[in-house]
Amino acid sequence: MILFTRRVWGFRLIDVIGVGLLIALILSVYLAKTFAGRERGEIARVEAEIATEHNRVRLLQAEVAHLERPDRIEHLSSTYLGLGPVKTTHEISPEALSSVLSAKPTAVKEGRL
Amino acid sequence: MSFTLQSLPIPNWRWIKDLVWRIEHAFERARAAGRAENDTRLRIFVVLAIFSIAFVVLAAGAAKMVIFPDVSRIEAVGREGGLDRADLVDRNGAVLALDLEHYGLYLEPHDIWDVGETRRALLAALPDLQAARLDHALNSKHRSFLVGGLTPTAKAQIHDLGLPGVSFEPEQKRIYPLGSTAAHVIGFTDTGGLGLEGAEAAFNDEIRKTADPRTPFALSVDLRIQAALEDELTKAAQEFHPLGAVGVVTNVKTGEVLGMASWPSFDPNHPGQATDDQKLNRAASAVYEMGSTFKAFTVAIGLDTGVATPDSTFDARVPFHLGYRTIHDYHAAKKILSLVEVFQHSSNIGTARLAEQIGPKRLSQYFIALGLTRPAKIELKESAMPLIPHKWDDDAVASTSFGHGIDVSPLALSRAMGALLNGGTLVPLTIHKLPADAKVAGPRVVSEKTSQQMLQIMRANVTGGSGGKADVPGLSVGGKTGTGEKYIKALGGYSQTQQVSSFAAVFPTDGDAKTDRYFVLILLDEPHGNAATGGFSTGGWVAAPAAGRVIDRISPFLHVQRQANLASLVAQTKPANPGDER
Repeated sequence: MILFTRRVWGFRLIDVIGVGLLIALILSVYLAKTFAGRERGEIARVEAEIATEHNRVRLLQAEVAHLERPDRIEHLSSTYLGLGPVKTTHEISPEALSSVLSAKPTAVKEGRL
Repeated sequence: MSFTLQSLPIPNWRWIKDLVWRIEHAFERARAAGRAENDTRLRIFVVLAIFSIAFVVLAAGAAKMVIFPDVSRIEAVGREGGLDRADLVDRNGAVLALDLEHYGLYLEPHDIWDVGETRRALLAALPDLQAARLDHALNSKHRSFLVGGLTPTAKAQIHDLGLPGVSFEPEQKRIYPLGSTAAHVIGFTDTGGLGLEGAEAAFNDEIRKTADPRTPFALSVDLRIQAALEDELTKAAQEFHPLGAVGVVTNVKTGEVLGMASWPSFDPNHPGQATDDQKLNRAASAVYEMGSTFKAFTVAIGLDTGVATPDSTFDARVPFHLGYRTIHDYHAAKKILSLVEVFQHSSNIGTARLAEQIGPKRLSQYFIALGLTRPAKIELKESAMPLIPHKWDDDAVASTSFGHGIDVSPLALSRAMGALLNGGTLVPLTIHKLPADAKVAGPRVVSEKTSQQMLQIMRANVTGGSGGKADVPGLSVGGKTGTGEKYIKALGGYSQTQQVSSFAAVFPTDGDAKTDRYFVLILLDEPHGNAATGGFSTGGWVAAPAAGRVIDRISPFLHVQRQANLASLVAQTKPANPGDER
């Protein structure tokens, strides 16, 4: 076979081809690994950033939940704003609005309703 | 070689010997046959081909690993600080509990340059750190854990000290941002992330399996309802100074617990600092002789068995003897009462007469069917076993008909009451949120007609009976007061002054069987009357007002429409007999 008998620069053709393939393989693996490593580093950095931000978001969620505790909100709203649960007398359906307004025209004029 | 092969002692190995001999002399045979050159090349080619294939496979595998790295391995590295438990949220998505990344502080004594400086700096930065513990870690021969649960801020402060030998590792810590709000519903975990109480324990496995912040675990409670319930319960406790107090709100159709409060409460972030009394979930773990709220069961059983109708009459003019007991009324009406009046006046005599007609067998069968003889069916592990009569005889009938001689948990009472009010089916209670269109099945315990009659009777008790203080303008509230005298072992009998006062309410009472209805229970253990109550500490005086305020506050959250015209009708209604609500 020509592969085993022909010689190039004193080396058998099969040996030259084998060495060439080996060098190409080493080079391609090196390049692939280098590029992939760079990409993986970037991915890891982004993932670490996401994880950090995620932890911050959760921390903020916990802080918001803590600050929005119903008992705290109620205390603040009643103490500083004078707010309280809505009473029935302050509640009316849209359908009943006209009848109430017609029944109490004076109160409406005076701005009490 | 040949000697060794020939001397093999076992005849069965002969074929191996022949095979090796054949391979060893193959080249010699080929040369003898004049094909030695060809045979050598063939061998070399075969070996070359095998090695080439092996290297190509290895190279392809290496290239694949480099170009397409296994994503799961990267995720596994990032998972070090992953969640141990899923977030807990209320039915509307409000956060109740979550895992937050904290840090554990580790000391490596070999890397520490100045032990004295490190000791001083750490004690200053961590005031709660015990000096003995720090000294033990500093004198250790190995890297050791010093303290955990450091917040990112605390970690950064210590890190900025630049102390050699001090390192941190991320760890998850369970946080309850609402503090004591809904503490008994949520429960708490140990430092290893194992649920010990409440929902944390009840759903421990599910919470661990779904440990993903994108899929929180939803509880049935509504934080707004829970907060209103706790607020009113705390106000009632501050006013009447009971040993403990309980509040429960349930959806009677689905069995979902929308609010559950136990007073005194605790902060689940620091369960070790709370007393056992604070950690006790009185709604689930405590049992009480409920008193007259049980009359609702007796009356319902009387109606359902056909023993009585709302117009049936009972002679309450004189004390009634049943078994070994002589039964009196707290404030005797001393007249013949209809069934509705028996309920409104909370007449022990009338109820006992009704129970006598029902009979021990049927009464006990209904109590069993209502789940009053077993722990309340709910996911909570702390659901308590009731104390029931050993024998269902006349004495037991007389006692249990008005809530004596039988101790049940508030949750068991809530579940059974729900069956009377939801059309007649006994559904399990749950603290897990159900789908919006969930239809919960359960055994039928009373007829739909009986259920409707009970709604009307309970409403009548609020508009003209002992439950007047629970009325809410614009809403159709029904209910039953209860005041159970406590059995004192030292006295060998019931106390006249120590009571369990409660009010079991339902709203709205109007509408057909398909209407959404809600049950509210307020219970105070040994409350003390005050000037505002005329010294009374019965359910109608201490629990009913709190129940009414709770209903008034939570009805908008439940989309129960308050009606102005109804408000004007009931605004001036007063209870029939204030104080006569036992």
